[in-house]
Amino acid sequence: MTPRFGRALLRLFAVQASYNYERMLGLGVGVAEEPLLRGLPADGTASPYRGAVARGARFFNSHPYLAGLAVGAAARAEHDGAPAELIERLRAALCGPLGSIGDRLIWAGWLPLLSGLTLVAISLGAGWTAVVVFLVVYNVGHVALRWWALRAGWAHGVRVASALHHPLLQRGTALAGPAMACAVGAALPLTAQYLAAPFEPWARGVLAAAAVAGFLAARWLPGWVTGLRLGLGLAAVALVMGWVWP
Amino acid sequence: MSLDVGLALLGWGTLVGVDLVSLPQMMIARPLVAGTVAGAILGDFETGLTVGVVFELLQYDILPVGAVRYPEYGPATVGAVATAHAATGALGLGLGAVVGLVTGLVGGVAIHLLRRVNSRVVHAAAATLESGDPRVMMRLHVGALLRDVLRAALVAGLGLALAWTVPPLLTGVMTPHREAFLGTLLAVAAVASGLAAGAAGTLRLVGRGPNLAWFAAGLGGGVVVAAWLQ
Repeated sequence: MTPRFGRALLRLFAVQASYNYERMLGLGVGVAEEPLLRGLPADGTASPYRGAVARGARFFNSHPYLAGLAVGAAARAEHDGAPAELIERLRAALCGPLGSIGDRLIWAGWLPLLSGLTLVAISLGAGWTAVVVFLVVYNVGHVALRWWALRAGWAHGVRVASALHHPLLQRGTALAGPAMACAVGAALPLTAQYLAAPFEPWARGVLAAAAVAGFLAARWLPGWVTGLRLGLGLAAVALVMGWVWP
Repeated sequence: MSLDVGLALLGWGTLVGVDLVSLPQMMIARPLVAGTVAGAILGDFETGLTVGVVFELLQYDILPVGAVRYPEYGPATVGAVATAHAATGALGLGLGAVVGLVTGLVGGVAIHLLRRVNSRVVHAAAATLESGDPRVMMRLHVGALLRDVLRAALVAGLGLALAWTVPPLLTGVMTPHREAFLGTLLAVAAVASGLAAGAAGTLRLVGRGPNLAWFAAGLGGGVVVAAWLQ
């Protein structure tokens, strides 16, 4: 791993730091790509280096962990002398797939899977050690994915689409969904038992009724009944009841 | 809460807030982690873990895709743990959850405002960015990161300020019996909303496809183990 590659990888950890509604991740992607562009001719204000830096910072959106794929591919394409229009099209074409795969693999797979397993472990008495294991295991996958993405992008250049067919990525995406569903499904009743343990029997009955009513409301009115609104609403009801109940 | 503990919690809450979006997204912003470490700072692992579990369930309601707006539960969990620890006794978990939910709401609004500010700054610098000057790009990026640090510190500070002021306001106001009753109701409300949001959010992720069978299998297994443990 060259120092430039390492610098780009480190900067990718902050790829969303300047997230905004105009260029989304674009500025962060440009910052991460810049070390890989340093070998390009940089004389004058209209140099290939300056042109590549400007292109790198334009609109881009994807899953943050997979943004390295676009960073590596675009930088490699710049070094290979690909036309500017082709690089722009490459970046635009990568937004959708990288967002979709990353969301399914990480936000809807790896993260809730490990979170669910951690909730199961805590409910079974593992305590804070389960949280430490969660943090370590999650980040082994997280860092490995960022590293792989940047390397694969750099290796494939404009043919980066073939990297998205990597067997591990395909299999991981296919397995993450069922594993997540099973883990979180198991976590819900065990967590309910763990949290309800200190309550008296009457309070457990109220808990069951409120949880079922809240769940049905969230299912019937998705987008309107969110966890936050439900929590604040139930807390308001609890405050009133606790105050006026004789 | 002593000054050094308060500062440690503020520092931790800020790190947690920055981790959510900006740097390095290693999931210390996850309520389970944020709550457990906050509990460790306070010397109260049990409270940290319990509050962390409640807010972790609420987190399942959120899928952070695109530019979607959502509450920020990381620094909120730190404030909730500090409140629950300060309000030891019946009010602990429930009052902590209320403080956490309010802080999470403010945190979500703060993220949205920060993104709008970032948009204006980037829009104003569009011409300079198109010149390809890497120093301009880096300055804008680091400026946005520093704004997020400030935002996270303010949100974490709000949660801790509530933790510092709210529990003493309620101490001695009610009879012990009413305090226990109200505390139980608030705790039930927090846990019920966590379970409901967690189940509904997970089912949204699972959908109606083959993963639903896996969810049902996991749920069944969890119920059997829970019954066996009882």
